[in-house]
Amino acid sequence: MPSYAMVIDKRRCVACMACVVACKKENDVPPEQYRTRVVEQVEGQFPLLRMDLRPELCNHCDNPPCVYNCPTGASYKRKEDGLVLLKKHRCVGCKACMAACPYDARYINHEKGFADKCTFCDHRLKEGKEPACVATCVGKSRIFGDLDDPDSAVSEALRENHAEVLLKGAGTKPRVFYVKTFSKPE
Amino acid sequence: MELTITGANAIAFPTLYVWDWRVSLYLFLGGLSAGLAIMTSVLHVRKGGALAEGERAAITAPILVPVILSIGMLFIFLDLERKLNVFWFYLTVQPLSPMSWGSWGLIVFYPVSIMYALATFPEEKRNLLRLGILQDWSASLGRYRLQIAAVNFGIAVFIGIYTGVLLSSFVARPLWNSALLPVLFLTSAMSAGAAFMIMLAKEKKVKLFFTKVDIWLILAEMILLPLFFYGQYTSSGAHRESILPFFTFSHEYFWYGMGMLFLLTVLPIALVMKFMEIKEEHGDELTGEALLKMKVSALMVLAGGLVIRLSFVYAGQLSHL
Repeated sequence: MPSYAMVIDKRRCVACMACVVACKKENDVPPEQYRTRVVEQVEGQFPLLRMDLRPELCNHCDNPPCVYNCPTGASYKRKEDGLVLLKKHRCVGCKACMAACPYDARYINHEKGFADKCTFCDHRLKEGKEPACVATCVGKSRIFGDLDDPDSAVSEALRENHAEVLLKGAGTKPRVFYVKTFSKPE
Repeated sequence: MELTITGANAIAFPTLYVWDWRVSLYLFLGGLSAGLAIMTSVLHVRKGGALAEGERAAITAPILVPVILSIGMLFIFLDLERKLNVFWFYLTVQPLSPMSWGSWGLIVFYPVSIMYALATFPEEKRNLLRLGILQDWSASLGRYRLQIAAVNFGIAVFIGIYTGVLLSSFVARPLWNSALLPVLFLTSAMSAGAAFMIMLAKEKKVKLFFTKVDIWLILAEMILLPLFFYGQYTSSGAHRESILPFFTFSHEYFWYGMGMLFLLTVLPIALVMKFMEIKEEHGDELTGEALLKMKVSALMVLAGGLVIRLSFVYAGQLSHL
């Protein structure tokens, strides 16, 4: 069974937002709502500035607070591949998962009322395709694959680079890894 | 370090807006009904039930508990985005979700509070219960009044704690993520329950008894609140920043600062008023002025409880890891 994960190579992201558009189109995300985003963060003091371009999405955590806090079992972690998914018919829209997620990755779908999220394009994975954001990424910043397969693109990217996760201290054990700047192992 | 989030993609950046006044009111009314249930149990058990004899609140307070709870539950129901799916709460038990054990706790608390209202209904007034079956239940439950009082007390404490645990279980919201919050909410709930009991009570001895109870509870609140903020301040950077809205009088956080000022003013004033009430020499009957003072101090406590729920629910959503 695969163990899906994503590596985001920030060195290659140009913030073109193609991933945001592809995700919205692929998953029929309502207007003004997003399953993924690219944070453009400027740090430093003028004129000594640097910009961090950071695509963000659901981290499909191994220790997912949204799943633990869901009162109806609508949010769940699929054992077969590690994806954090939603049984839409069970969701009452109580928003506990939204409050619980440290990555603000969930939102109430305004059209349907459930607490929607990124699924790593589960429907595409079943067809043997990559998630829409990965397939469309022009800079090949988003890398997707099976962590258990040593020959997969994600395993290779993690082997070749220093990778970090967001809010490591929260203890959520995310499955979205970030490769920062010029990070060949020393 | 200057830090800005900018760019054409700013529209995609999330603004957390999870819970609003409906959840604040639910937490307040749930806490109030739990606090009132605790106080009704105390009223009927204290001095072998002698305190409750001839007291109007001994009948009205247990009846009001499920009524207040129902209004509170209506507000949380209004907050649900998919109201028709509400039955899913009761088709599963999620042991790690406080909202799941709260929903099951409420479904236990509700019948227990109704049973307690029937059990404490006085024999001579049972004819007011229009339905014969209610009169029969009242008679048979009345025999187990003390046992039901104990269960009522226990489940009410659980509900009072749960209203705090509901918020404190979120690692993502540093303001809420404190073990002190459930204790603070329980104390505030009991204090509101005692204050409400003072407003309902007719007998002087009952009013003064619950005034004494409330003094201790307000004191406990006045210790817990600074301890809570101290704990946050000495914790991680995110925890420290989470309490800033309460102490930053900028236009952005104006209402949080006002809420803190309100609590800093109202709780000590209510405490002093209550202290004067028990020290004052009352005659056989309480004068109109004394009754007014008691009602005003009780209203202050209730308003304080509401402000705590409102400010914590909103400010918690501003806090981030």
